[in-house]
Amino acid sequence: MRRRLHPGAWWLWALGLATAATRTTNPLLLLLVGAVTGTVVAACRSDDPWARAYGMFLRIGLVVVVVRLVFGAVFAAQAPGTTLFTLPSVTLPSWLAGVRVGGPVTAEGLAVAGYDALRLATVLICVGAANALAAPSRLLKSVPGALYEVGVAVVVAMTFAPQAVTHVRQVRDAQRLRGRSDRGIRALRRLAMPVLEGALDRSVQLAAAMDARGYGRTAAVPRARRRATAALVLGGLLAVCAGLYGLLDGQAPAALGAPMLVSGSVCAAAGLWLGGRRSPRTRYRPDPWALPEWVTGGSGLLAATAMTVTGLLGADGLRPAPGSAPGLPPLPAAGVLIALAPALLRGIRT
Amino acid sequence: MGVNAVRLRVRSGTALSLVSLAGLAAFCWPLLVTPGARIGQSAFAPWMFVLLLPLLLAVALAEIAEGGIDAKAIALLGVLGAVGAALRPLGTNVAGFEPMFFVLVHGGRVLGRGFGYLLGAVAMFASALITAGVGPWLPYQILGAAWVGFFAGCLPRARGRTEIAMLAAYGAVAAFAYGWLQNLGLWPFVGGMASSISYHPGAPLADNLGRFVAFNLATSLGFDLPRAIFTAILVAVTGRPVLLALRRAARRAAFEAPAGFDDRSD
Repeated sequence: MRRRLHPGAWWLWALGLATAATRTTNPLLLLLVGAVTGTVVAACRSDDPWARAYGMFLRIGLVVVVVRLVFGAVFAAQAPGTTLFTLPSVTLPSWLAGVRVGGPVTAEGLAVAGYDALRLATVLICVGAANALAAPSRLLKSVPGALYEVGVAVVVAMTFAPQAVTHVRQVRDAQRLRGRSDRGIRALRRLAMPVLEGALDRSVQLAAAMDARGYGRTAAVPRARRRATAALVLGGLLAVCAGLYGLLDGQAPAALGAPMLVSGSVCAAAGLWLGGRRSPRTRYRPDPWALPEWVTGGSGLLAATAMTVTGLLGADGLRPAPGSAPGLPPLPAAGVLIALAPALLRGIRT
Repeated sequence: MGVNAVRLRVRSGTALSLVSLAGLAAFCWPLLVTPGARIGQSAFAPWMFVLLLPLLLAVALAEIAEGGIDAKAIALLGVLGAVGAALRPLGTNVAGFEPMFFVLVHGGRVLGRGFGYLLGAVAMFASALITAGVGPWLPYQILGAAWVGFFAGCLPRARGRTEIAMLAAYGAVAAFAYGWLQNLGLWPFVGGMASSISYHPGAPLADNLGRFVAFNLATSLGFDLPRAIFTAILVAVTGRPVLLALRRAARRAAFEAPAGFDDRSD
């Protein structure tokens, strides 16, 4: 059986692509990023249940685009440019000057809203690709010790969303079987409350399962180390506050400023590291980080770097003006195409 | 009124206060800086805070977790954080509708201020990972959301309709203050705007304060006000059922029940 890649490599790859997507509003580049993730997911995904997350995130992305376009048309109308059509407009009082409802909808205004929405959707699709490719349970192992508990909570939050979607579908089916309509505000409430209750119930079950497996247990920390951690953290934070005061007050001695801030930050970081020792966890079947992981993670980082460097150099094409046809800038496009490496790697290894 | 799902001890409370103090400085430094301070002239100053805040946040979260957080709190944190994060993309920046806050207000109210702080941070972080929100503004947003959850847990006792009204009022105030603080954090970054409303390093407090208020009115009062109203309405409408559901879950989880082994062997 072929070995699975380290989930961190997939997240690095996907977050690299997502970072690249946030740096641009060029629809061609964004569609290219989406196509690359789709190709890699199609080539590398497994038969696990979470591998279906990609299609779900694709649909969520579509919904985001539609919702943003509608809101853009209704709330951000009256942008300068070619008028497409005119909505009935309501002028709100002057103290609500930020909100305009209705009015002429311009092609440029819609293009700005659409590009922005496409960027958001592309980032969602990248996250969906990571969700589909990386085993979420394996990611739990990679959180640093001091942030272990919070890291677990974040991972639970990130992985709960697909389950909530499944649950929404189940509740809606149950309501339909009872012959109740699934439209309108009251139906929404009939849908939302069981989903929330189910989520809370499942969290209690999850907690029981975690308790039974020893999550949240900490090692016995020697009193001396505990005190050292507290001293480092609190002393470091005090020094940071003093350093900030020194930087903000012109009359304060120079030694109170930057040196205090830096030493305080170092102390706090050391305390963070020392505090991580309270959760010494051995790893059962640790995921290795070898050449395929380097290639996968590195290709995502290259895509992000190419896009960022292009942006910093001030080259055109990353943010096309609405109303003109966008071009495809070569360097960012090449960077995004490098992120196809995991799919090629898969082809070579089989 | 509720349980304390995550207890704040002296040590974690002190760390939290110090981090909040430094965080407040990170938001308000353009107003606090005095003439002659070197930070005022430095273009690196805003970025210094962007680099500093993640470390401070990590320390605060680690300290709260160190003070005692069990698997039940982690699981509830994850689930409620997911609800908040899933709601965030439904909102739109156009008019500042932010449906996430009602989860923080209710969660902090029922499960205590320590939990509220963590909930704000987890929900904001998870939602930033899902939406295109990862950027230099993320530490500011996490700190702001954590404060929203924390202070929701500090509200006085009340019951029934009084409680819902209090929570709705708090939601409005919190949403409004959140918008102002985010603007204040953003303000030094926005250099190229009309000079009459942008940040002037080293100018007297009254001058800069006036310019900031003008900046805020010009850019986002139209966002802040509808957001505050929308949050209050959402908190009031969802108040009763959501509070009931959360309290039922908190009761089932039995957060403050002492658990341990009996010493008697006979």
